[in-house]
Amino acid sequence: MASPASANMNAVRETMDVLLEVSRLLNTGLDMESLSICVRLCEQGINPEALSSVIKELRRASDSIKVLTLTQQ
Amino acid sequence: MAALDQKSPNVLLQSLCCKITGKSEADVAHQFQYAVRVIGSNYAPTIERDEFLVSEKIKKELLKQRREADAALFSELHRKLQTQGILKHRWSILYLLLSLCEDPRKPSNRVPVCSYGALLAQALPRDVHSTPFYYARPQSLPLSYPERSATAHNSSMATSGISSMGVFSINGPGPTPPSLLTGPGPQAVGESMRGSRLAWTLPVSSSPSGAAAAPRPPSGPSSSPAPRPPQRQRRDGDGSAEIGEAALVRDILYVFQGIDGKFIKMCSPENCYKIDSKVPLCKSLRDTSSRLAELGWLHNKIRKYTDSHSLDRAFGLVGQSFCAALHQELKEYYRLLSVLHAQLQVEDDQGVNMNVDSSLTLRRLLVWTYDPKVRLKTLAALVDYCQGRKGGELASAVHAYGKTGDPHMRALIQHILGLVSHPILNFLYRWIYDGELEDTYHEFFVASDPTVKTDRLWHDKYSLRKSMIPSFITMDQARKVLLIGKSINFLHQVCHDRTPPGKIMPASKSTDSPKDATELFTDLEGAFQSKIDAAYFETSKYLLDVLNKNYQLLEHLQAMRRYLLLGQGDFIRHLMDLLKPELVRAATTLYQHNLTGILETAVRATNAQFDSPEILKRLDVRLLEVSPGDTGWDVFSLDYHVEGPIATVFTRECMSHYLRVFNFLWRAKRMEYILTDIWKGQMCNAKLLKSMPELSGVLHQCHVLASEMVHFIHQMQYYITFEVLECSWDELWNKVQQAQDLDHIIAAHEVFLDTIISRCLLDVNNRSLLNQLRAVFDQIIEFQNAQDTLYRSALEELQLRIQFEDKKRQREEMGEWGVTAEQEAEENRRVQEFKDTIPKMCSQLRLLTHFYQGIVQEFLRLLMTCSDESLQFLSFRLDFNEHYKARDPRLRPSLGATRGRRSSNI
Repeated sequence: MASPASANMNAVRETMDVLLEVSRLLNTGLDMESLSICVRLCEQGINPEALSSVIKELRRASDSIKVLTLTQQ
Repeated sequence: MAALDQKSPNVLLQSLCCKITGKSEADVAHQFQYAVRVIGSNYAPTIERDEFLVSEKIKKELLKQRREADAALFSELHRKLQTQGILKHRWSILYLLLSLCEDPRKPSNRVPVCSYGALLAQALPRDVHSTPFYYARPQSLPLSYPERSATAHNSSMATSGISSMGVFSINGPGPTPPSLLTGPGPQAVGESMRGSRLAWTLPVSSSPSGAAAAPRPPSGPSSSPAPRPPQRQRRDGDGSAEIGEAALVRDILYVFQGIDGKFIKMCSPENCYKIDSKVPLCKSLRDTSSRLAELGWLHNKIRKYTDSHSLDRAFGLVGQSFCAALHQELKEYYRLLSVLHAQLQVEDDQGVNMNVDSSLTLRRLLVWTYDPKVRLKTLAALVDYCQGRKGGELASAVHAYGKTGDPHMRALIQHILGLVSHPILNFLYRWIYDGELEDTYHEFFVASDPTVKTDRLWHDKYSLRKSMIPSFITMDQARKVLLIGKSINFLHQVCHDRTPPGKIMPASKSTDSPKDATELFTDLEGAFQSKIDAAYFETSKYLLDVLNKNYQLLEHLQAMRRYLLLGQGDFIRHLMDLLKPELVRAATTLYQHNLTGILETAVRATNAQFDSPEILKRLDVRLLEVSPGDTGWDVFSLDYHVEGPIATVFTRECMSHYLRVFNFLWRAKRMEYILTDIWKGQMCNAKLLKSMPELSGVLHQCHVLASEMVHFIHQMQYYITFEVLECSWDELWNKVQQAQDLDHIIAAHEVFLDTIISRCLLDVNNRSLLNQLRAVFDQIIEFQNAQDTLYRSALEELQLRIQFEDKKRQREEMGEWGVTAEQEAEENRRVQEFKDTIPKMCSQLRLLTHFYQGIVQEFLRLLMTCSDESLQFLSFRLDFNEHYKARDPRLRPSLGATRGRRSSNI
C-alpha cells in the first residue's frame, strides 16, 4: 500500500508544482498555500468565478485596511 | 495536505481569508462572512465548463501581453496537467487563475485602494446576490484609465470568438464599458490595434488558419487602418438600399446549421447554397457569404451520413463508433455556432450602435470559421470515402486518410481512428484471449463457418476475411491472430481442454485492456506486435503441449512410420510369414476376422508387443476393394485408426496417402520375400539335383536370373529405405521438433507425405516408371512359378529314379534280377521324356530372362529421363557395371548425355 500512496503524493505534488508555475505565469499573486486551498475548493465544485471575485475583494479589503492604518498613523 | 482534503469549504475559506488578509481568524470574520455569501450565492455560472476554451483564453491572454514564450510554456504545463489526471475540475482551477491574472506591464490595479475600501463597506452585501460584477459598475471610475488596456481588451474579445459578457467583465479589474469610450479617436486606434492583433495572434492560436491570415499585411498600426474605415462606412451607408450585413450574418449562422436562411437558400439542382439572385447585394458580400455557405453544405453532408447510418443496426459496431466520432466533431462545431449565436444575441440586446468594432461581420466569420471549415472538409471527404464500407474496411479507409503531412488533420484522423478501431480491438482481444467471436455484423477479419463440424474445425471452420483486415494490421499479424483464436477453440472443442485461457497466458493477460486502443494502433510496430507474438507463442506452445502429452501426437507419428511405412522390420517379416498361406488364396475368400487374428499373433510374437496399448489398439487390417482375379496379396493392407484431436494432423487424405504408400512398400517387400524363397530353394535343391547333370544348364540359368533380380530388388529396397523414407523422416522429425504451432506440424507432415509419394513413383508424373516396376514385380512372380514347376518336376523325377534304384537294390539282395528288360526300357523311356522337357524349360527361362531384361532396360531408360537426383543415382546403382548399357544401345547416348550434363552442372 505504501508505494501507491507515495506515488499519489508525488503526483499531487507535481500537479501543484505545475499549477504554481501557471499561476506565476499569469501573475496571479497566489502563494503555494493559498493556491492549494483554492485548488481544494475548486475540486469541491465551487464556482471559480465567485472564488476569484472573493479573492480580489479580500485583497482589496486588506490593502485598503493597510492604507487606512498607514494614514491613521 | 491529505488531512486538509477532508475539510469543509467553510474551513478552507476561512483559512484563505486569513492567508490573504494576513490577520487572525477573529479579525477576518467580516470578510469571511462576505466570502461565504458570495460563494454560497447560487447565481448560474456564466462561463462554459470547458477546459479547452479556458486554456485557449489563457493563451490569448498571454499573447495579448506579448509573451509568446510564456504561452508556449503554458501549453506545455497544461499538457502536463492533463496527463496527470489528479484534478477533477481542471477547467475550474485554470479559470480561477485566469481570473486572477494581472498584466505585469500594467500599473498595479491595487493602487487606488481608498475608493475600493469605502466601496467594500457599503456596496458589497447588496450586490452580491444579483451579479458578481458589482465592481465593474461604479461610476466613480477614473476616466484616465489607460486606453491601451481598453483596446487590448476589445481585441481579445474579438479574436477569441467565444467571449461572453462574463469573461468581459472579469478580465480586467474594472474597465470602462466601451460605450463610454466611443469617440472618433480611440475608435480608430482600437480598429488598427485589432487588425494587427488578429494578424499575429491567429497563426499561433490556430495554425491552419495561417493561410487566411497570411494575405493580410502583418501590419503595424500605420498600415492597417486605411482599408478598414471605408468598409465600415459603406456598411452603415448601404443598410437602407441593400441587405444589411447583420442580416446576412444571421442568415449565414442558420446556413451553418444546414437551415435555409432568408436570402441564402439551398439550391437543390446544383447542390449548393445560393444567395437569391434578385436580392440587391454588392459582389464582395455575395462572394464572402457563398464562401461561408460552404460550411453549411459540408455540415449537411456529414449530418446526412450520420443520420442515415446511426440507426442502421446492420452497419455494425465499427460503423456506429465512426458515427459517434463524427457526432463528436459536429458537437464541437455546434458549440462554436452557439457561441456565435450568443454573440449575435448580445449585439441585438444592446442595440446596433453600441460596440461596433466587436460585432460579427462576415469577414470575422470567415476568419473564425476557417479552422472548423478545414476540419469539416476533411470529415466530408472521409464520409465520401467511407460510403458503403463497414467493419475493418471502414477502419482501413480512415487509416488511409491519416497518412497526411498536416499534423492537425493527422491528429483529427487519429482520434477518429482510435474510436473506430476500438470495437475491432475489442473483437481482437476477445478472440485471442477467450477464443470467442462476437461479431454479429461480420466486421471482424476472422470469419467462422458454423456449418463445419468439429472434426474439420482446424482446417475449415475459421478463415480470414481479407477485405476486413484493417490496413494497419499486416497479413502476418492477421494470420497469427486467426491462429491464436483457432488454437483456443481447438483446445476447447476438440481436445476438451477446459483450462481457462488466463492460465495459458498468465503474464500477458493482466496488462491488456482495450482502453489503450489508440496507442496500440498508432505505435503499431512495438507493443501491439509483441502482444500478438506473445499470445501466439503461448497459445501455440500450450496447444502443442496438450497434443503431445495428452494425445501423444509424436508417438502416433512414429507408429505410422513403424507400421504403415514398414519401419518395424521383425514385425512385418513375421506378419508376412504368418499371412503367406492366407494371402495366396483368392481375395474373395479372405475374411477380415481371420486376418485380424493373425495380426494379433504377429504383434504378440515380435517387438511390437512392447508398444503402448494405445497405439496397438488402433492397428487394424483392411481389405481393399476386390477386383476379379486378385489374390490376397493384392487387397491386403494394414490400417491405423485415427480419431479425436490427432485426426487434425492425420486427415482422411493423409491416411489414404499412407495406405497407398503402404501398398507399394508391401509389394516391394513381398518381392524381397519371394526372392528369398527362390534363393532358399536354389540352395536346398542344388545338392539334391547334383545327381542330374542334365539339369545343370537350366539351373545355372535360374541362378543367373535370380541373382539379377536380387540385385535389382536390393537396390530398389535400398533406395526406398534410405533415399526416400529415412531422409524424409529425418526432415519431418526436425521440423516437428522445431514447430511453433500446429499448422507447422501439419504442413511438415504433408510435405513428408508428398515427398514419399512422389519418390515412391506413386504420383502422376512417374506413372510409366511405376508400370515398369510393376512389370518387373510380375516377372519375379512368374519366375518364381516357373522355378517352382521346374523344381517340382525335377524333384519328382529324382524321387522316381531313387525309387527305381532302391527297388533294383532290394531285388538284387533278394537274389533276383535287379531289373527286367521291360522295366529298364520303361525307366529309360521316362528319363528320356524328362530330358525332353528340359529344353522346353530352358526356352521358357530364356524367354523369361529376355522379357525381364527388356523391362529392366526400359525402366532404366525411363530413369535416365527423370530429373530427380536420387532416381538418377538409383539408375547408376542398378547398372553399376554397365551390364544393361552394353546390351541396349538406347541407354548409351542418353547416359552419356546425362553424365555430361551432370558434370557440367557441377
